[in-house]
Amino acid sequence: MQATRALLKRSVWKGPHLVPLPIVWPKSADDKVPPVRTQARSATILPNFVGLRFEVHNGKEYNRVLITEDMVGHKLGEFAPTRRGIVWDKRKRG
Amino acid sequence: MQQVFILGVNFSEQKLVSKALQSFYALGPRACERIMAKYTIYRLAKVGSLAPKTVTSLTAELSQMTLDSDAKKIMQDNIRRLKDIGSLRGRRHAMGMPVRGQRTRTQTATAKKLNRLDRRF
Repeated sequence: MQATRALLKRSVWKGPHLVPLPIVWPKSADDKVPPVRTQARSATILPNFVGLRFEVHNGKEYNRVLITEDMVGHKLGEFAPTRRGIVWDKRKRG
Repeated sequence: MQQVFILGVNFSEQKLVSKALQSFYALGPRACERIMAKYTIYRLAKVGSLAPKTVTSLTAELSQMTLDSDAKKIMQDNIRRLKDIGSLRGRRHAMGMPVRGQRTRTQTATAKKLNRLDRRF
């Protein structure tokens, strides 16, 4: 029953939403690559992204995201919030 | 009044079988219908009308399923995972706000009641 739940979000024949990203793949394990700067918030995180660093646009600036294994299948935009929380002025309350 | 034990829970004889089965968390109308069809229990059967053999086989059937605290733990682990990876859904759970883009100006009572990291049931 849970398997169908995951399938319901998108037609299977379409596959994951793939976006051509300017990824520079690290040659070796200790190879330093610059983070991938992107505005493609709707791009699905693929299994081979694990360990990469991204900079995802939130509409104003780029938020740093380190991709972990649990994030696979989610979208990049889920990790760059577009809204700031409301902070009421505590001084006025007294 | 006689009592019937199904999976360690006491049910009164007057209770409907479907109601008794669905009182377990993670056992809804669909699974209930399937189980009742399997043991040929009619829709409006009362717990008292079940043969002792059926009651034991029902208990055996239910013990194979993920129910109650196990199912709740899965739910809580899923919410915890969303929070740990820092996704928007996890953050909205932590804030006690609607998770799927509903309006927040009014009518967020259910979200405020349910959405939290340590989910209430």
